[in-house]
Amino acid sequence: MHNQIAEFLNKNIPACKAVVNAPVAVVGDQSITIEASTLLAVCQALKTSPEFEMNVLQVITGTDYPERIELSYILASFSRNLELILKANLPRGDKLNLPKIDSVVSVWSAANFQERETYDMIGVEFVGHPDPRRILCPYDWDGHPLRKDYVVQEKYLDMVVNPPEKNNTYDQMFGKHLKEELGDPKRVSASWKDRSAGTEAETEAKDGE
Amino acid sequence: MSTHTEDTNQDKIILGDQEILKSDLLTLNMGPQHPATHGVLRVEIKTDSEIVVEAIPHLGYLHRCFEKHAENLDYRGIIPFVDRMDYLAAMSMEWGYALTVEKMLGTEVPKRAEYIRILIAELQRIASHLVYFGTYGIDMGAFTAFLYCFQDREQILRLFEEMSGARMLYNYVWIGGVWNDVTDDQLKRISAFCDTFEPELKKYDTLVGQNKIFIERTANVGILTREQAFDYGATGPVLRGSGVNWDLRKNRTYGLYDKFEFNVPVGSGEKGTVGDCWDRYYVRIQEMFESVKIIRQVLAGIEAGPVMGKVPKIIKVPAGEIYMRTECPRGELGYHLISDGGKTPYRLKVKSSCFTHVSLLPAIAPGLMIADLVATIGSIDIVLGEVDR
Repeated sequence: MHNQIAEFLNKNIPACKAVVNAPVAVVGDQSITIEASTLLAVCQALKTSPEFEMNVLQVITGTDYPERIELSYILASFSRNLELILKANLPRGDKLNLPKIDSVVSVWSAANFQERETYDMIGVEFVGHPDPRRILCPYDWDGHPLRKDYVVQEKYLDMVVNPPEKNNTYDQMFGKHLKEELGDPKRVSASWKDRSAGTEAETEAKDGE
Repeated sequence: MSTHTEDTNQDKIILGDQEILKSDLLTLNMGPQHPATHGVLRVEIKTDSEIVVEAIPHLGYLHRCFEKHAENLDYRGIIPFVDRMDYLAAMSMEWGYALTVEKMLGTEVPKRAEYIRILIAELQRIASHLVYFGTYGIDMGAFTAFLYCFQDREQILRLFEEMSGARMLYNYVWIGGVWNDVTDDQLKRISAFCDTFEPELKKYDTLVGQNKIFIERTANVGILTREQAFDYGATGPVLRGSGVNWDLRKNRTYGLYDKFEFNVPVGSGEKGTVGDCWDRYYVRIQEMFESVKIIRQVLAGIEAGPVMGKVPKIIKVPAGEIYMRTECPRGELGYHLISDGGKTPYRLKVKSSCFTHVSLLPAIAPGLMIADLVATIGSIDIVLGEVDR
């Protein structure tokens, strides 16, 4: 099915250069990568084509790689029972110069919230979006949390984010204490299995009762 | 010529009068602490007297950035976090996640575990729909339904507590199977529950759902057309309420669902228009009956055997990606897992149906009365833990 779609796209929109990505391992899903600049035309073609009828946009996933940002548009056809992962690569850009791609709100209204979330979390600007605001973080938040190099801002509206007194140090102390006491760090994680050490003491206690 | 100028003067005077009479739109904040929003959702409503002109949802009050957590946890450690998304249907959340990882690992799940998974998923669907039914009754001003529904839900939660040790956040479905076996006694009690629950549910439906006041409040209110449902990517009971026969359990079957016989209830506009609040209500009621049907078939077919498959001690998912979706009580839940071959996912994206359904509100709300907006928000049945993740 993926080969057919790629053929169809290359025939109708030659600029999109659709390539089928085989799964890296034997398992997993295939996907199709296209040129980012042709995204809107490709989406329109896929939605209106009588052969595929991709009438639902399910989700937009943004993934941050060291060199690029990859957007996966997961489309589905509820009338033909098809599913497709459409990918576009963008440069990473920087804080003042976020990567840009066309908005597909005109094709599917579902893209409205999905694109807002992708902007919020990954930091991609969608050109032509009717309401380009953040959605999950506060509207004046700084940075994009799902980027791999994201650092939480220290202060937000004069409030300290992650104040040290709210840091749960007890867990860390407990783990450290256990390790010191047992000597062998492996026994901490599997201590519930290894009962041989405790059995003698337990039997003694029972005898005493 | 003179008459013409007189006319325009007259028009100006009338226009001026209208200018004085014209009232501004009133902005109302519904939520974040409001019982009718079912959590911490804030809807900014612009109203012209009683009529809603615009509704803007503001999300994020429960945002924990689950996806960032998932990038730093091993595959088993993610399951408790998954529970906390849709806390009213935690079993279904876990099953979807476990399926995603199992598909990538190529794990074979023992048959008994598959049966148990369907059993708990359908029980969870009933429990989740009962919460919907009860709280929706409260939204409509009928308190009785709530008390009835929570009695029945309590029985399911007690069973889950016995099986998993927790009432709501279970960590029961593990990668490769389920954590613990069910006993014959528990199966017997589930069977007994089904027998008592079916007539009870019929009673609640005649008591509340077929009530004249309830129908007046919900029929022809908050209509979502078939085209709109596709356009906004609606799934689950909301999509089926709009008259679309689409259920993942039938159309893209997973687990052992292809073995069982059940119907997919679809909204037909029995009391009003197709896709109104009453249709969505009735689809959910019918779904509970279908769930009972599936549970009976599971109880008849379940065999003895192990409940945990062979899973490596340290799970390393091969590099690649997968998008797996399952039919949860509130709609389709999709996990997009991208792995680079390490111990933690490189990226785990959740497609939450509640998030998509919230985006429906600005489309349905204009033209509704404020009280009808409450009915509409209740009928799309959102859980804010899943919306904000």
